[in-house]
Amino acid sequence: MRTESASHKVRPDQADIVIVGNGALGLFLADELVERRAGSVVVVGPGNRDAGASAAAGAMLGCFGETTTESLRTDASRTRFELGVRAHDRWPEVTARLEEYSTTGSPLLVTPESHVVLNSIGATLDTVNYEAMIKALDEYGKPWAEIDPNEIPGYRPRLDTRALKAVHLPNEGAVDARGVLAALENRLAQTDTVLVDQTVAKLVRNNGQIIGVELDDGHFIEAGTVVVATGARSEALVKTALDDFDTVPMFPGLGFAMLARRTGGEKFRSVVRTPNRGFACGLHVVPGPGDLEYYGATNRLVDTVSSVTWMADVRFLAQYSMQQLDERVASHEVVKWLAGNRPVTLDGFPLIGWLPLSGLYLLTGTYRDGFHCAPLLAEHVANELQGKPGTIDPMFQPTRKPIETRTIEWSIDEYVEHNLAGWFETGAQAAPQMTTNQIADYYRNMAIKFYETMNIDYALGPDILWYAQGSLLGARRVARYFQRLARAEAQPVGA
Amino acid sequence: MTISQESTTEAVRALVDKHLNLTAHGFEFGVDDDLWNLGMTSLSCMGLMLTIEDTFQVELPEEALKEDTFRSVGSITAAVRSASEVRA
Ligand SMILES: Cc1cc2nc3c(=O)[nH]c(=O)nc-3n(C[C@H](O)[C@H](O)[C@H](O)COP(=O)(O)OP(=O)(O)OC[C@H]3O[C@@H](n4cnc5c(N)ncnc54)[C@H](O)[C@@H]3O)c2cc1C
Repeated sequence: MRTESASHKVRPDQADIVIVGNGALGLFLADELVERRAGSVVVVGPGNRDAGASAAAGAMLGCFGETTTESLRTDASRTRFELGVRAHDRWPEVTARLEEYSTTGSPLLVTPESHVVLNSIGATLDTVNYEAMIKALDEYGKPWAEIDPNEIPGYRPRLDTRALKAVHLPNEGAVDARGVLAALENRLAQTDTVLVDQTVAKLVRNNGQIIGVELDDGHFIEAGTVVVATGARSEALVKTALDDFDTVPMFPGLGFAMLARRTGGEKFRSVVRTPNRGFACGLHVVPGPGDLEYYGATNRLVDTVSSVTWMADVRFLAQYSMQQLDERVASHEVVKWLAGNRPVTLDGFPLIGWLPLSGLYLLTGTYRDGFHCAPLLAEHVANELQGKPGTIDPMFQPTRKPIETRTIEWSIDEYVEHNLAGWFETGAQAAPQMTTNQIADYYRNMAIKFYETMNIDYALGPDILWYAQGSLLGARRVARYFQRLARAEAQPVGA
Repeated sequence: MTISQESTTEAVRALVDKHLNLTAHGFEFGVDDDLWNLGMTSLSCMGLMLTIEDTFQVELPEEALKEDTFRSVGSITAAVRSASEVRA
């Protein structure tokens, strides 16, 4: 069955459930609810998905390729990691179900496999993350094999950044993110679900109950249940109904990627990627759809959601794809510039659960692997909306305090390590008499001073620390949030 | 309560001095001197911003959270005064 993706022109006045946000999380949830015949569903979100993450994603179905030394270090991170492991098992069924609604002309599963390369340019962070990945693969009994990097189809880096080691992950592939979103919309369009091509201006409440949403042109849709899945814009939207409620703060993780057409040389046939890297998700190429290749991705925490691209990020991606993946990339034809905002939380964990306003549910904070986790999370949320037990750990509830996974000392060490990785990968030159330790000292002092100035005792991840020390707005949000938390804790119960 | 321009300027000047350790290091500075040239870093600016907000009990608007606002005692004073007016 093939249909054009279409947003219904009619705008309903009422629904059982309104999902705000038409990214991967919103659409997979709608699909799950429809499958369960859970009542009437309306999804509101702009058709162009302005600055959303999902349409910019490489959509690697990666859990092991994403492993870092942090992934299994604490119980909380392990629980988070295992979301990815469980999500992975869903995808064969998901792609099988969606394939008939796809209009791209090529398979939604663009490749079933990945190669992870270890080259020397990413500093020691690459090495330790690479080792952590292999350890995790063994621990979870997943298949992998060491492979001569020269045998990876398409992989032709410049000699000075070539990998000396690589592993093949036969079961970790990628989907065509844009194809999957379109297929989901087509599938929903065949049902009673209404997709409204607009934005929600505010959530509407009556006393302690959500009663609906108001669209940007003032149109009101009444609903007893509203799910906020607006990615990096979620916190702002929640505030329209819960002004004085503090969720764990969220920041947009602006990412840039390119879809390009190969003009010569051997094609990539698998995901080829580095381990996760300084502040970001590593450099990667995802083959397809068709004769296109996806090159990604940068990650920069920013003050506000936008779809701008920094020239530095364009240079970064173009130059390093050419150097570290395939020299021929230089003559690829870029057919699409992709920019999207990852929903990043202060503690790095998702925000999933009921909010302290009856009928209002939050589904966000998935950072780097929200596309991959979306089908699993949809099942969990659908259960909760139907009053059934959830299927994931309740630790991600939005009413939580930030989850602690490290000490300040650890945070400072991590910050140093990520900065060194960034320093070397971007080809920054130090004066010849300057040693790596001296560069490390510089970053260490900076981090120590940051904690002294901020006067907080919560240990931040390296990406948040980097952002907050470079942004007055970011620093203020973090500092004030912890002050409010401390004040709330100091208040006697019942006061 | 209205605080005079002069007393705000003086209070800002004292905070800046304390934060950047200027007179202690023998620097003299006036209302319009560029603090970035006097050694203010992004980190010391961050601390100064938090202290200024705490002391004057204001929340600077988001668009004021930029380098230029913190360039001099004068520019900080102006930002504090306009934020207090909003509050009042
Ligand atoms: C460059 C890049 C590469 C990535 N690579 C991967 C990857 O390989 N694998 C992976 O699993 N994940 C990846 N991610 C992360 C993944 O994209 C996100 O975790 C996930 O897509 C988040 O989905 P979402 O639906 O929560 O948010 P979004 O996709 O941001 O969707 C939110 C939607 O809500 C809409 N919206 C916003 N405000 C309103 C409003 N007021 N009213 C109505 N609608 C609104 C937006 O337009 C948007 O369409 C990547 C992200 C980026 C940016």
